[in-house]
Amino acid sequence: MENLTLVEPAAQLSIWALFWQAGWVVKLVMIGLLVASVWTWAIIVDKLISYGRMRSALNRFEQVFWSGQSLEELYRTLSDRKTTGMASIFIAAMREWKKSFEKGAKSALALQTRIDKAMDLALSREMERMESRLGFLATIGSAAPFIGLFGTVVGIMTSFQAIAGSKSTNLAVVAPGIAEALLATAIGLLAAIPAVIAYNKLSTDASKLASRMEGFADEFSAILSRQIDEKVPQRA
Amino acid sequence: MKAGLTTSVVLHASLLAVGLVTMSAPSAMQVENVESFPVELVPLSEVPQSVLGERKAEKAEKPAPVPTQRPDVVADAQKVGNNSVDTDAPITPEASPRPVEPSAAPPPAPEPKPQDKVADEAKPAPAKQPEPKPEPKPEPVEQPAPKPEPVPEPVPKPEPVKQPEPKPEPTPAPVQEAKPEPAEETTPDPVAETIAQEPAPTEAVQLPNSAPAPAARPDPAPAQQTATKASETKPSTSQSSEQAAVRPKSDEKQFSTDEITALLNKAKPSGGGAKRSTEQAALGAKKTTGQTLSQSDKAALSSQLGDCWTIPVGGVETDNLKVSIRFKVTQAGKIDGRPTVETSSGNRPFDESAIRAVQKCDNQGLKLPPANGEWDQFVINFDPAEMF
Repeated sequence: MENLTLVEPAAQLSIWALFWQAGWVVKLVMIGLLVASVWTWAIIVDKLISYGRMRSALNRFEQVFWSGQSLEELYRTLSDRKTTGMASIFIAAMREWKKSFEKGAKSALALQTRIDKAMDLALSREMERMESRLGFLATIGSAAPFIGLFGTVVGIMTSFQAIAGSKSTNLAVVAPGIAEALLATAIGLLAAIPAVIAYNKLSTDASKLASRMEGFADEFSAILSRQIDEKVPQRA
Repeated sequence: MKAGLTTSVVLHASLLAVGLVTMSAPSAMQVENVESFPVELVPLSEVPQSVLGERKAEKAEKPAPVPTQRPDVVADAQKVGNNSVDTDAPITPEASPRPVEPSAAPPPAPEPKPQDKVADEAKPAPAKQPEPKPEPKPEPVEQPAPKPEPVPEPVPKPEPVKQPEPKPEPTPAPVQEAKPEPAEETTPDPVAETIAQEPAPTEAVQLPNSAPAPAARPDPAPAQQTATKASETKPSTSQSSEQAAVRPKSDEKQFSTDEITALLNKAKPSGGGAKRSTEQAALGAKKTTGQTLSQSDKAALSSQLGDCWTIPVGGVETDNLKVSIRFKVTQAGKIDGRPTVETSSGNRPFDESAIRAVQKCDNQGLKLPPANGEWDQFVINFDPAEMF
């Protein structure tokens, strides 16, 4: 108890001073929350950019795909490029198609199944890439307030112990410690609120893009199935 | 991811920087410096309950101090009264105005002298009257001219004092005779003796002549007042006559009505304080010691009386009867005289039983709330439903 000393209340209430006056547990909580906040915003910015790119890429691909260009030609131009979204689904399907025909497919049904599988795989890879790190936002959104609260509780505990040590009930003695402790909750909320909002928005965006790609995959599957029907019986 | 991370770091850094600048130490709340004061808990029984008011007034719900005639507010006044100054003095009927002889006495002094033909007597009188003189006189030693001017003043001064009585009586003849005498006698003496200058008397003689108005009044006054006032003033003047040369100076310096009036306490000694009230006076005392007889004191009193009370049995139903008994208490804590019925129950034996209860308790030793002369009247309700 003797070691607990109360800070001078006067002119020590700036945010920086509050941070430095806090105990090491509270400081750790604050720093952790600050890092989490930084990472949250990094994810938010990154996702917003990548989703925007993905959307424009989908639009461009759809435009090219439905322009009546030959699929073989499209495949040739895209195969040597790094592809994302619909293009990668298209490439995966075309690759499987090519392989099957090069080796001489025996069964139309088996070919159809293989192509669908390849497209599903490509789609799930794309989805995984898109939704990566969104879980972190959800975690921060739900856990940050609690972490901040933990810091506050510890800070208030310490401050009350110090008050007990100083044997004074003056509000001027109590207030700085509590203000300092509450800073932890404030930072927790500061990190959590954008995380929750961003998570909701980004996950909605991701599911929209995913449904667009699924739609494309189904359509392309139907087109290929028609092609298989046209080609396989002739050969069989 | 790199872009996102850098953006985020930059964003946080700028936010922190802005926060450090704008959200630095919040300005302290402006709170008035409240001084803490100790609160002492005093048992009610130790506090005589009384309020500011009049001891003979009716008891009222809202106690009020004695009404005053001048309700103009005097700030921070504590004592009730009509005064302009807050004094401790009690309010008493204003003293009847006495005839103001003492003030009139000094002026007549000079007048009797001419009749008595005592030259020396005249000197002290003029010396008192010319109050402004003391200052100019030291100077006149060098300048004889200004001296004559103050001399005429003493002559007119006696006028206001004597005017009411003398005017009708004076006859023209004595007026002329009287004029030169006081003027010659009064003026030359102070000047000549005090300053010891030759030219002064000659000038002084001329000046009285130039002042015609005063002549009429001074003469009659001596004639009438000599009998009454001369007796009082003469002894003093005769004593002073011997030391005439020295005294005038000292008297002149000390005696200044302006200075004295400035020093006078204008607060009426009988006017009480300066606190104003237009309310009807209520039962109370001069000092405030509390609100009223406290509930616990009342309860203690009525329970004591209840123990002494024997309700008459038989006859009418007494459950719904109530009677208020008023009694006074002496300083010794004994009941003063016979208790009286304040509000009758309508049942005489019942009322009498309540009075007997008070008397019986008095004999047994009634424990009363400490009155200290501030609270000596009690009205107790005798109600069987409440007392038992």
